[in-house]
This record gives sequence, C-alpha cells and structure tokens, in this order.
Amino acid sequence: MTFGELRARVAADYTVVRPLPSPAVRALAVTPFAILALLAAPTYFNVRADATALGWFFTWGASLVQVAAGFALITAALRESVPGRSWTPAQLAMWIIAPLLLVIAVTFASASVSALPLGQGWWIVGLVCLGGSAAMALPIVALANVLAMRAYPTRPVIAGLLAGLGAGLMADAGWRIFCHYGEPAHVLSAHLGGVIIAAAAGAALPLTLKKPFR
Amino acid sequence: MTDPFDSRKAGKAGLPLAQGQGDRLRELMREYQQGRFEAFDDLYAALAPVLRRYLLSHVRDGAKADDLVQDVFLQLHRARHTYDPAYPVTPWVMAIARHAWLMDRRTQSRRPWAPEDVTEMELPVRGEAAAYAEKADVRRALGKVAASRRNAVIQHHVLGWSFKEIAEKAGIAETAAKLRSSRGMAQLRALLRGSK
Repeated sequence: MTFGELRARVAADYTVVRPLPSPAVRALAVTPFAILALLAAPTYFNVRADATALGWFFTWGASLVQVAAGFALITAALRESVPGRSWTPAQLAMWIIAPLLLVIAVTFASASVSALPLGQGWWIVGLVCLGGSAAMALPIVALANVLAMRAYPTRPVIAGLLAGLGAGLMADAGWRIFCHYGEPAHVLSAHLGGVIIAAAAGAALPLTLKKPFR
Repeated sequence: MTDPFDSRKAGKAGLPLAQGQGDRLRELMREYQQGRFEAFDDLYAALAPVLRRYLLSHVRDGAKADDLVQDVFLQLHRARHTYDPAYPVTPWVMAIARHAWLMDRRTQSRRPWAPEDVTEMELPVRGEAAAYAEKADVRRALGKVAASRRNAVIQHHVLGWSFKEIAEKAGIAETAAKLRSSRGMAQLRALLRGSK
C-alpha cells in the first residue's frame, strides 16, 4: 500500500526527461554575459590610459585569463549542484583561494609594469570600481544560480558562492581594462572587493530562492 | 565500470551491491529517464533496502527511516534529469538520501511544536476514531505512533491543518505530508484494532 501510494504520486507527473548536459556545457550559457562584461566598460568608457605601456598581455591577456578562471568556477559550481559530485573540503578551498590568488598575482604583475597612482578622491574612484564591478557581475551571478538550481544542489550556498566568485572574476576582467589606476592598494580593495561582493551575492541568492527539492 | 560507492560505503551502509548491479542500476535509471515507468519499480526494489539501512543508521527509528525512504524516492523522481548515465547511480542516490536526512534533521530542530507526550493532550475524538475506543485508548495508541507520523495525524485530523500547512511547517513536500498522515492513520487503526 505504501509503495502503491508512492507509485501513484510519482506516476501523476511522470514524463520523459533529458539528462542535464555536462557542467562545462551548461556553463557556456553565461558566455554572452561574460563577453558583455569583458567589453562593456572598455567600449563605453575607454581603455585604461597606460594600456600601451602595459602591452596586450597585461591588459587583454590577463583579463582573458580571469574570464577563463570565471568559466572554470561556474563549471565547478554547476558540478557542485549535481548530487554525488560535490567537491571535497580541500577541493573547495582550492576553488576559493586560487581565484583570489590569481587576482593578486595579476595585480602585482601589472603593477610591476605600470601602475598609475591614485591621488585625491581615491575613495570616490574606489567606490565607483567597487560598485561597477559588482554590478556588472550580478546578471552572471543570477544566471549561474538559476542554472545551479535547475539541477539538485544539496549545498546551494556553496554552489552559489562558487558561481558568484566566477561571475565576479568575469566582471572584474572587463573593469580592470577600463580602470586607469593599477595601484595595488586600489585594485585589492575596490576591484577584489567587487569580486567578494559578487561571491557573497551568489551565496546569498539561493537562500532567497524557493528550494525546489525538499 | 564498477560502482565506487560499493567499496567506500558498503561497510557503513551494510549492504554491498552485487557485482554488476551498478551497471543494472545505471541501465534502469537511463530507462526511467527515457520513459519506461516500470523501471521505477525495479529501482525501488534494488535501492529501497540499501537506502533504508543507510537512513536507519542515521535516524535509529524504523518508521522514520521508512518515511525518509519515501521522501528520497519522491526527490529521486523529481531530480531524475540530474542523473548523468556516465556515472554510477548509487553516489547520486546516496547524496539525495543524505540531503533528505539532513533536511529532515534541520526541520526537526527548527520545529516549534512536536508533541512527544500526547497522553496529556485534550483530544476531540470524532468520526471513525470514536467508534474504536475511549479517548484514553486513542491517546495511548497515538503515543505509539512514530513521532513524524503522529504529528501529521494530529495536525491534520485534530487541529484541522491542511496538508500544505503541515508541509510548510515541517519543511517537506505536500505529498510527503499526506503520506505521513495516511500511514499514521493506518498505524493508529491497526493499534486500536489490536487494543479491542
């Protein structure tokens, strides 16, 4: 009887389903937003003043590396959202620490070539960069979270955190090409702050969404 | 491909899968995704004992483990599109089972009202229950019903809550709330019949 009831309830909404594509394929859904985030600020405003001094590698090259890391993180988030494929604590630590180290490495490597210092009004510029990069990340954060929720995230906050971190990296990749000031203090507070805000937003979003499987 | 869950968790779950069963489960799951509903029966037959033992090792309550097994199969059904046939079934199912158990534990800890002692409750005995026995008998029998089912029975049949309200309160699916209530009533009837 118990099994019969269960069977009847399952039969009531039984339909053929197509298995989800792999996390890497699903992550490609954010590509248009990633391209937009990369090109919007440099196209609308301008490329940073010291772009010539930095050269292609430290402007576009480093940003493309950040975008690739962002894709990897969103792929990791989508893998995390599939039951039985969760990351171990050590792997999670790697996924969180490595992107932060990447931003720090890019910042100091770029600063060693060229770093325009910030004078007066440093905090206004900081706020613009913090808000701008975080705002650019939000559409990607939302989309990546929706993709994660379409699976069965048993740890939705962790999946959201990874997605948010990836989105933050993608958004900052474009913002750093526009921002003229490569001074490490500015980049590590405002730009990295934007990445951290995006990660926090990604972690918070699943808490506000209705959990589909409970 | 062998099922890694077999070797990693067999000792803990207490039910190692037979050689080749991993492949069979994978095939069944693929068929279930593709529209052969009968595969659900085979999946249930193969997985329910493993899941029950696994959940029992956590909750130490047979009735509760049975309820959770039902929850797991409902969620397995809803999440069937997330299963990737390239991977073994059991880690996927066990992750769902662990999630179901954790969600249940969380809702139990948050639940503001969960009567353990119903002997002091003022129960309006009505309908078919009145035909069985005195209030005291009902209270005694109700005390023997598993806590999760007892709560659903009292909330629905005594307090008049809808299944939607029960489900929201307990943090479970509405179908699971109905299941708990109906199983609780069935157990209650059996107990009352036995006490006659």
